Amino acid sequence: MSAPAPTRKPRPVAAVRFGDILAAERIKIITLPAAWFAMAVASGAGTLLGIIAATDAVRIAGPGGPIPVARLGTLLLAPAYAFVSIAVFAAGSEYRGGQLRVSLAAAPDRNRLFAAKLTVSATLSLVASIPAVLPGYVLQHSAAVHAWERGAFVGFLALIAAYLLLSLIGHGFAVIAKSAITPLAVLFIAPFLISPALRSILPQVVRFLPHEAALSLLKLPVDPATALGPRAGLLVLAAWAAASVAAAWTVFVRAES
Amino acid sequence: MIEIKGLSKHYRNNRAVDDITFTAEPGHVTGFLGPNGAGKSSTLRILLGLDAATSGQALIGGKRYRDLRHPLRTVGALLDGAGPVPERRAIDHLSWIAQSNRISRGRVREVLDLVGLGEAARRRVKKYSLGMKQRLGIAAALLGEPEVLILDEPVNGLDPDGIRWVRTFLRDYAAAGRTVLLSSHLMTEMAGTADAVVIINRGRVVSQGSLAEVTAGHATLETAFFALTGDRIGPRW
Ligand SMILES: Nc1ncnc2c1ncn2[C@@H]1O[C@H](COP(=O)(O)OP(=O)(O)OP(=O)(O)O)[C@@H](O)[C@H]1O
Ligand SMILES: [Mg+2]
Repeated sequence: MSAPAPTRKPRPVAAVRFGDILAAERIKIITLPAAWFAMAVASGAGTLLGIIAATDAVRIAGPGGPIPVARLGTLLLAPAYAFVSIAVFAAGSEYRGGQLRVSLAAAPDRNRLFAAKLTVSATLSLVASIPAVLPGYVLQHSAAVHAWERGAFVGFLALIAAYLLLSLIGHGFAVIAKSAITPLAVLFIAPFLISPALRSILPQVVRFLPHEAALSLLKLPVDPATALGPRAGLLVLAAWAAASVAAAWTVFVRAES
Repeated sequence: MIEIKGLSKHYRNNRAVDDITFTAEPGHVTGFLGPNGAGKSSTLRILLGLDAATSGQALIGGKRYRDLRHPLRTVGALLDGAGPVPERRAIDHLSWIAQSNRISRGRVREVLDLVGLGEAARRRVKKYSLGMKQRLGIAAALLGEPEVLILDEPVNGLDPDGIRWVRTFLRDYAAAGRTVLLSSHLMTEMAGTADAVVIINRGRVVSQGSLAEVTAGHATLETAFFALTGDRIGPRW
């Protein structure tokens, strides 16, 4: 350590603004290696699935014969869960190494801090979802995209909406769980283990779960007989996101560090 | 100036902080001493607005921490259980902290050099040694050139050279008219750094005053500490 610096005159003090906290939150996310890793996995897997679905090179055995990958909603939506971890890490990393206490010392107003982090997490997720989704989507729907069909555009927007809303659900969940691991485990396990087990017993309930609502929105339901329509799917998914964020906000403002 | 007035913090039926009152004045290094579990970190967390007090007040320059307009330019803190995400690089950790309070990027470099981490600035914190992490925490506390420094066991993990640096630095910092409050277990270290002392045990103040007043009638600060806290500590070693 070097000799102590001589005392200086205090520098002119500029007021701390909400924008400063937003900028700080942005640095937090983009300097997190896990966020970049999640982005790479999501776009890589999305592109790969787009190619497979487009060429129909692989079919998966189903009860009624082989199913083309393009009809397997759960598989096609799998990259979204890698993508969701960007928001989950953004929120959950506060609870790693005791960063939250540093964050609160820098921005003591818990409402302000929560709002800033949520804004940045949602904005970066929205911006990142475009490069994450676009290559795979264009490859899979190349004919429709080249013909500038309206349906191709709507389908793309639906996919972006699904990515964003699932990210918000993950963000809120991470704040409530005070970790990144629990929400990722639950969000990933639910569609593959919990939903299939419940589907035969409680189909009316399962269709309201986030993953199933997202598949309805994307017109790729697992069980078309009981599934919601695309609009209802969007509404249900948005309701989950709102509930998750609202619960997280309440918990965050009341919690002790 | 730091004012703690009748501060209490109860966890279920544990009175971690029980009606503590003391002040830390500008121009002095105030040592905050007490055995493990005495309530030092709990007091400092309330002072920083991280936890809510059960009753009483903790003020900095007459204000609650959360009401400060420029928190990091007013108060620099090193707290127990507060630190960087291990995967982040040290420079990135300091950069977001600086950005959140409109502190220049140049200052990030300055504090890194000041604590001797200039060379290691681009390494991930999980590859840091204990002492390096501690130095990073001190660098973060100094970012805003604050009027008040609150350090919870700052010399934890530091080598002799680092300890000497902290001692000189804090004395000079206080000599320039600023307020320094630090907790420590190292009595000889504290005796060489602090000029005012507050000793707490089981959440209550057992002695406070200038170093000379608290040590009066005892050979050293350490014997004073044991005399004041020793026979009342819960677990026996
Ligand atoms: N979040 C918490 N929930 C319940 N009890 C707590 C909590 N934090 C601290 N305590 C209790 O409060 C008491 C004071 O703890 P504190 O960490 O303030 O002590 P300390 O003086 O900093 O000790 P040390 O020297 O070991 O750092 C202890 O009995 C501890 O168990
Ligand atoms: Mg402590």
